[in-house]
Amino acid sequence: MWPLVRLAAGAFASPGAFLQVLAAGRYRTSLVNSLALSTAAAFVSVAIAIVPAWVFARERFPARNLARTAVSLPLTFSGVLVGFLVIVMLGRIGAVPKLAGFLTGRELFAGSAYTLAGLFLAYLYFEIPRAVMTLEAAFRHFPPELDAAARSLGAGPIARLLHVTLPYAAPALYSTLAVTFSASMGSFGVALVLARRFTVAPLEIYTELTAFLNDAVAGALCIALAALTFGVDRLFARRAA
Amino acid sequence: MPRIVSGALLRICLGVVVAAVLAPCPALALPAAGEDRTVVQYDCIPNYANWGGVTALYKQVTGVTVPPDPKGSSVAMAALEKEKDNPVADCAYYSGAIGYQAAQKGLHQPYKPKGWEKIPDALKDPNGLWWTVHTGTIALVVNTKALGGARIPRSFADLLEPAYKGKIAYDDPTWGGTSFTFVYGLNELMGGTDKDFRPGLSYLRKLDANVSSYPRESIYNAVLRGEVPIWINADGNGYKMKYVDGGPVEVVIPAEGTFTMPLVMGLAAGAPHADEAKRYFDWLLSAPAQAEFAKSFFRPVVAGTLPAELAAKFLPDADYRKARALDLSKMAAAADALKKAWLDEIRGTGR
Repeated sequence: MWPLVRLAAGAFASPGAFLQVLAAGRYRTSLVNSLALSTAAAFVSVAIAIVPAWVFARERFPARNLARTAVSLPLTFSGVLVGFLVIVMLGRIGAVPKLAGFLTGRELFAGSAYTLAGLFLAYLYFEIPRAVMTLEAAFRHFPPELDAAARSLGAGPIARLLHVTLPYAAPALYSTLAVTFSASMGSFGVALVLARRFTVAPLEIYTELTAFLNDAVAGALCIALAALTFGVDRLFARRAA
Repeated sequence: MPRIVSGALLRICLGVVVAAVLAPCPALALPAAGEDRTVVQYDCIPNYANWGGVTALYKQVTGVTVPPDPKGSSVAMAALEKEKDNPVADCAYYSGAIGYQAAQKGLHQPYKPKGWEKIPDALKDPNGLWWTVHTGTIALVVNTKALGGARIPRSFADLLEPAYKGKIAYDDPTWGGTSFTFVYGLNELMGGTDKDFRPGLSYLRKLDANVSSYPRESIYNAVLRGEVPIWINADGNGYKMKYVDGGPVEVVIPAEGTFTMPLVMGLAAGAPHADEAKRYFDWLLSAPAQAEFAKSFFRPVVAGTLPAELAAKFLPDADYRKARALDLSKMAAAADALKKAWLDEIRGTGR
């Protein structure tokens, strides 16, 4: 708790800090960017995670454990490492442009690691596993009788997913959104490596501290970021309940 | 196999792996009992100015360890200031203006290492709060194989051509002092002053269209591999890629002119190993240490210590006559404002 108190004290000691953060400019842009990027990453990663999570929770198939381990692997990577992986794939001489150059004669996607798309892909890379793991746990508790009942009434697999499983799993979906959203809001290493002009709040906090030793603005940014994350999480939590 | 055995085995394996991972890491290795033979230097990047070779040689000569440290100048100064009440570092290495600023902030204590009189007056603080260990020159470090058919750029004006789109990088000047020197000097070159940054920023805004990234870590290896074809950085890093690592690299002094950069050091206030650090400083100005720096093509500050076969590999003096010295006190005074302006106008506006 003590570090939190000191941080808040630093921010509130100079009242101008919050005004600076909320005024139009680099700080506010970074908060808005963080919010937009994290929200998009949360929704897209949860949408993508539904099917694999369902399969892992309900089906038994060969190499299931291997597949689960492979999916959860990115969770163990630090953000900086994920950033470098994206450069290896999508950098100016990345694997994807080289392969595209070999196949089509044109080096497609060269340097896209440093664009907003590259940053978004990196976020997805570590959010999808998080979403799969969280959703899988929820899907495990899904009562098979419901599915069997729907099937006996003649519902196909897609109809069952849309009308039975997803409504039943809605709370789990919302809390998974909250988990992935919060993780993205706090993510720092990926943006440190990849972000060129697109800036996110944790990056601005780092810059304020390291380049300018501006504790007040850094603290105010931290608090604003935390408040924003908490607020959106509450929204998700309310939908879940 | 009984479960308990496999659990124990697993734990042993894990232990071995953890030990193997930690063992080669000098920062974590425990010093032998009664031994305190370490000097902590902030900003000690092995690939920059051959710090890797210099610290290895020092270890070999004296047994004292100087661990690598990845901070850039600005971050090193910030860390010293943060830790003022409880210092961790003994010394720091910076590009000139940032070291000057750190000394002004009271983060250094005076020391005049052996060989002090051999350092030109303009390159040291009269009170011993900072002094130069070697100098570099801002240049274009070009990986010629990675240019994708574009010709080698010869000037700052060339860099604005569309052929170089996505092929240029310079470090975030809020991170590294080399890049700060570039941004400050460029502004002067374009007609700006220490109060008026518009000419430099206006050029950098145009350059931004061709820049792939503003890194906050050393991209030496990325340039060598060709991930970054053009790096605006210190000339020595380019010569080292060319002559030591055998990369397809050319160093270009821009036609419009460029800037010299003294690289300075200072003894940290409250340094925990102050005496050890002083002996280290004395050694750094000795002929063997100066010649070791020169292996990475940073020019020794002590005249006559640059080995002739290395001197021959630099670009001709005619090129270096285009390099001007910058006023460190003005640079230091403008540092925060210029970094902020750069963030606001170049990096931070979002895209």
